[in-house]
Amino acid sequence: MTNTGDLALATRGLRKSYGSHVALAGLDLSVPRGTVYGFLGPNGAGKTTTMRLLTGLIHPDAGSIELLGLPFGRGDRHRLYDVGALIESPSFYPFLSARQNLRELATNGAPVGAGRIEELLELTGLRDRAKDAVSTYSLGMKQRLGIAAALLSDPTLLLLDEPANGLDPAGIVAMRETLRHLAAIGKTVFVSSHLLAEVQQMADVVGIIAAGRLVREGLMQELLNAEGIVRVRVGLDEVAGAAAALAALTASGGVTSSTAEPGWISVRVRPDQSGEVNRVLAGAGIWATALETGNDLEMLFLELTGGAQAAGGEGTFFGMAGSRADPGAPGTTGTTGTGAAA
Amino acid sequence: MSLFLSGLRKLVRRRASWVTLALLAGLLSLIVIAVGATSNRPGASAMERAAILSLVTFPGAYDQILGFILGLGGLFAVIYGAAIAGSEWTWGTLKNAVARGQSRSRYTLLTFASVAAAIAIGLVITFVIGVIAALVGAGLAGVSTSGLTDTAAMGRLPEQFARGWLAIVEEGALGFTIATLARSQLAGIGAGIGLYFGESFAGIFLPDIVKYLPFNVANASLATQAADGGMGGGAQLASLDANLALALVVVWLIGSLLVAAVFTERAEITG
Ligand SMILES: Nc1ncnc2c1ncn2[C@@H]1O[C@H](COP(=O)(O)OP(=O)(O)O)[C@@H](O)[C@H]1O
Ligand SMILES: [Mg+2]
Repeated sequence: MTNTGDLALATRGLRKSYGSHVALAGLDLSVPRGTVYGFLGPNGAGKTTTMRLLTGLIHPDAGSIELLGLPFGRGDRHRLYDVGALIESPSFYPFLSARQNLRELATNGAPVGAGRIEELLELTGLRDRAKDAVSTYSLGMKQRLGIAAALLSDPTLLLLDEPANGLDPAGIVAMRETLRHLAAIGKTVFVSSHLLAEVQQMADVVGIIAAGRLVREGLMQELLNAEGIVRVRVGLDEVAGAAAALAALTASGGVTSSTAEPGWISVRVRPDQSGEVNRVLAGAGIWATALETGNDLEMLFLELTGGAQAAGGEGTFFGMAGSRADPGAPGTTGTTGTGAAA
Repeated sequence: MSLFLSGLRKLVRRRASWVTLALLAGLLSLIVIAVGATSNRPGASAMERAAILSLVTFPGAYDQILGFILGLGGLFAVIYGAAIAGSEWTWGTLKNAVARGQSRSRYTLLTFASVAAAIAIGLVITFVIGVIAALVGAGLAGVSTSGLTDTAAMGRLPEQFARGWLAIVEEGALGFTIATLARSQLAGIGAGIGLYFGESFAGIFLPDIVKYLPFNVANASLATQAADGGMGGGAQLASLDANLALALVVVWLIGSLLVAAVFTERAEITG
């Protein structure tokens, strides 16, 4: 590995199979220090498997891991003293209270400062219920306790596996603020999610994993501003004219007309150029009857999850992305959420 | 040390601990008091009466009570050991400890050490309750309790306790290890009970082999008069020297803990 000193977490060629099932097929992650890194991927992509490998719960078949600049292998459990983790579902003794669970957990690993447990109970909003047995907690309360447990030893690197699961909207906002705050004071937060919107709202850096491989990694802001697609719908007899006019806006091959949905044309441009698309069409005397935009990240993620999340809605965003999207079923994916019809 | 104490705190707060204790002490008290209350029923032969009353007549009652606790305690210990080890996997609490950088084998062994300590505490409490119950039974039966302070019998108690504790701890370790291998509370308890009865069943056909197996050596190591064929005691097979049996108990104990530790050390924790 080279130049990983400024990385809080790095993996190279990480592979892991469960029996014959390949869960990770060579994962290369680079998580810069002091950032919130959104580890985004559909269900079954390998997020939890990655988290387990990073905490020594399981061991890689191949590849290497660096935690906080140092190699992490079988004999390196002490490296985890600087790491806090919440992996898969929060796990506690159901007959103990929140406070007791944290206290007993603190007898393992790095020392826990005096007063830390009370501080965390306060932070996660559990203080009023801290005396009740965890078996009486709701899923969201257990999740909060899981986050508190991950923060127990004030870790330099925080690994959170879908921490928003089961949290109410207020809880999600509070968690997001906590994670942003931690990054602001120099901690690194590696947080997984299967929801783009969630990651989009808190991550500085995003890595998208699908089928055990990293398919995109980069600064959130850059990915959001990257080239996307604008889709317009015109009259059937105007398709050829519109395509010719729009070709000026983009590189060659950037304009495609959908065969599955006649009348729809897509143009590869930055999302903020949708007005431009409209103007060019109008200049050619063609009026779009509908217009949709989507940035690269949304489209990429929808492609990865598209088939699985098909809601059968009106939106047909995917039908047109023919060459890149799931070729299986054009027009069956749900609405994009941010794609706005004109 | 803090991990051991933490383990003990968890056990003390756990209902399963108290249910196990209450069940054992309750059964013991019930039987002993019932014996005292019914011993005067008409029609019982003198021999029957003598046999029944030995349960509430000190100092012999000490042996009887201990024999009962150790006999039934073995089965309880298997279940208890399996419940404790299995729940670490079922609840994912082992995962938490490992992800914090705790040593897996250290965690496993110290968790068991706390089980062994809990067994010692339980043994003493049950014994005291048993003695009190026997005194009540003796009162009901009108038997003298002058043997209570028999120095010879009391002098034997520490060694009997130590042997009994080791035997039960070994049986607990067996359940503990089985549940670890099964990575599950329920499967561990089921398999532990199966093994307990399976062993005594197999003893009918293969006494020469089974006499070296864990539950049998546990019973053979006790060296109480009541141990063989005593009330509630697992039937003991072909006689095994008590000290040889004790050595085998230690072998089984260390062996099963080693298996549990090595398995945990190597396991993929995917719960
Ligand atoms: N313990 C396991 N045994 C067998 N297969 C597993 C196990 N855990 C996960 N998998 C499989 O590995 C793949 C990745 O799973 P996981 O890492 O849990 O994905 P994610 O957390 O992204 O939803 C999935 O196909 C899943 O079915
Ligand atoms: Mg997962």
